[in-house]
Amino acid sequence: MAIEKIDTELCNGCGICVNSCSMDVIRMDKKNKKAVIQYPEDCMLCGWCVVDCPQNAIYVSPYKSSPLIVSWG
Amino acid sequence: MVKENVFETDVLVIGGGMSGLFAAIKAREQGVNVTLVDKGYAGKAGSSPYAFFFAVFNPSWGHRMDDWMKHVNTIGEYVNHREWTEILFKDSYDRYNDLLAYGVQVQKDEKGEIKISRFPGIDTESVQLEKRVFGQVIRKQAVKQGVKIFDRVMLLDLLKQDGRIAGAIGIAVDSYELYIFKAKATVMCSGCASYRPDGWPVSELTADGEVMAYQAGAEITGKEWNEMKSTSADYPAVTMGMSLWMKPPVDMPLDLGPPQVQVIKGFNVDGQELPGLAGSNFMELEFEAHAGRAPVFGSFEGEKGPRRVGGAATGLSVHGSDGIWPVDTRGTTQLPGLFAAGDACATMMCGAVYPGVGYGLTGAAVTGTRAGLAAVEYARNAGKAEVNTADLARLRAAILAPTERKGGFSPRWVTQVLRNTMIPYFITYIKKEDRMKAALTIIEFLRDHMVPKLYARDPHELRLAHETRNIVHTAESKMKASLFRTESRGTHYREDYPRRDDPNWLAWVTLKAENGEMKAYKKPVPKEWWPDLSRSYKERYPNPFPGE
Repeated sequence: MAIEKIDTELCNGCGICVNSCSMDVIRMDKKNKKAVIQYPEDCMLCGWCVVDCPQNAIYVSPYKSSPLIVSWG
Repeated sequence: MVKENVFETDVLVIGGGMSGLFAAIKAREQGVNVTLVDKGYAGKAGSSPYAFFFAVFNPSWGHRMDDWMKHVNTIGEYVNHREWTEILFKDSYDRYNDLLAYGVQVQKDEKGEIKISRFPGIDTESVQLEKRVFGQVIRKQAVKQGVKIFDRVMLLDLLKQDGRIAGAIGIAVDSYELYIFKAKATVMCSGCASYRPDGWPVSELTADGEVMAYQAGAEITGKEWNEMKSTSADYPAVTMGMSLWMKPPVDMPLDLGPPQVQVIKGFNVDGQELPGLAGSNFMELEFEAHAGRAPVFGSFEGEKGPRRVGGAATGLSVHGSDGIWPVDTRGTTQLPGLFAAGDACATMMCGAVYPGVGYGLTGAAVTGTRAGLAAVEYARNAGKAEVNTADLARLRAAILAPTERKGGFSPRWVTQVLRNTMIPYFITYIKKEDRMKAALTIIEFLRDHMVPKLYARDPHELRLAHETRNIVHTAESKMKASLFRTESRGTHYREDYPRRDDPNWLAWVTLKAENGEMKAYKKPVPKEWWPDLSRSYKERYPNPFPGE
C-alpha cells in the first residue's frame, strides 16, 4: 500500500526524498546512509518522493487501504 | 531531559508555502530579522506545491475590474469580502512580477507568448507557474535574502506577553526537542484545515494555526464552507483528482508531466448530463449520491470516463474563506502581534464558493506580502519579546504529555474514528440538524475523552497526537458553524433549510471561546455589498440547489 519500496541498490543516500515528504514517512538510516520507509501508514500518495528522486529508486503504489477499525486502539 | 532550543527574531513566520515565503521575503527586504518555521520542508510543504494556476489581473491584457468583481460577488454568493477580493486582483500583477524576478518560470504557448488560461463560465484569467518547482525557486530567494529557515519543526502554541503574541513554541518532528521562538511579531501562514482524508494530499493540513490562534483568544470564521474535490473511485487515494469538471493534469500512476487541464462533462448513472462549470456550485456528486444516482462519471472526449467520488479533501473550506478573522486588509488579527496570511487567514476573498481558478495561490502571495509588511511595522515599535517562565513550564508539560502516558489512545486510531464520522457525504456536505448534532456528540466525546489521553511512542507520533487534537477541533468548529447558519448558500447546503435566506444570512459566522465553550456569532455583511433584493431570487443566484 502507498509507498512500497526504496531500492537500496539504487538509493545514493542524497536525502532529497526525506525533505520531499511532508508526512515524515521517509527517514535516513544513518548507519547504512540509505533512505528507509519508516511510517508507510502515513503516506498520502502525493508522489513527490518519486518525482524528486534522482535515482528512480522509489516505488509508490496507487493503492492505499486503511486499517480496519477495531473497538479501540 | 528533552533538549530545548531557544531563538529570538523580529518576525516569526509559521509555515513555508506560498504565503509564508512571501511574508518572509517581504519582511526581510525591510531589513529586520526573519525566521520561518515549517513542519515539513519550506517550499515543498503545504498545499502550494499542488497548485500552479496563478490568477493575474492586468488591464493591459484587456481585464476589467468590474467584470472580475461581478463574477466573484455572484458566484461567491455575496458573502465575499469585497475589499479583499479587489485587493486580490489589484495586487496580483505585482506579485506575478515578483515571481518572475525570483526566477519562477511561467508556461508559454507555441509562439513563446505567456499562456493565459480562461475556463468556461469563469470571467477571470490566470497564468500557469512551473509546477512544483516554483516553491523551490521562491525558497532560494528567501535564503538569498537572509531568511533563517527551520524545517521539520512543528509549532503548537503561541506565546503571550502582557496580552500580545510574543512568538511560539513547538517540537521537532523527528527528535525529542522543543523549539521556542521569541518574536516581536508573528505571521501565521500555516494553511488550512482538513480531517486528514486520504483522497487528496492534505494530510499535513491540520488547522494548526487556526487552533493556535483560537486558543490564544482569536475569532475564527468560515468553517461552514466546503472545498469540493472529487477523486477517482478506482484509485481514491491517488491525488490530483480536481473537480468533476476538469480532467486531472496528472493521470495514474504518478505521471507528473506539464500541466494540461481539460474541461470535461459529467454524467450520472441514468446518463443525464450534469451542469458544467458555469451553473454549478460543485456539489453535483453529493446531490447525485443523495438522490441515489451515484456514481458519477467524468466524460473525456465523448467517452464514458472513470467513476468519480466526492469528499476527496473533506474538512477543507474554500480558499481564503476560513481561518483566523482579520481586522483589516493587511492581515492584522485581533491578537496584538499576530498577523495571518494565505489559507490560515479568512480574508473571505472568495466567499461561499471557490469562484475561479488560481485565486488560492495568488491570494497566498498577496496576503503574505501584506501580512509580512504589517508585521515589520509592528515589530519596529514592539519591545523585546519575553515570556513568563511559568507559562513556558505549563506549555512544555502540555506539549510533552502524550509521551508520558503509558496507555490511552493512539493518534491514528482517533483520527480514523473522526474521519469515519465526518467524511460521509451526509454529514459534511448534505447537512441536516439531527445528523450534525449526532456527529457533534461524537466529536465532543473525542475531544473530552480521547484527546486528553492520546499517547505517543516516538517524536513522529507526538506530532500526530497534536495534529489529531487540531483536526478534532476543526470538526467541532465545522459542525458548530454549520448548525448556526440556518440557510443554504454556496457550498453550505442544509436539507432542512434548502434555500438562501436574504437578508437574514448575508452574514459571516465567527466562532470564539467563551468560558471554555465554542460560541458562534453572526457578523453582518455591509449593506452596500448586498445583492439588489428587488431582483428575483433566480437572478441573484444563478446556481440552483436541488428542487429550485
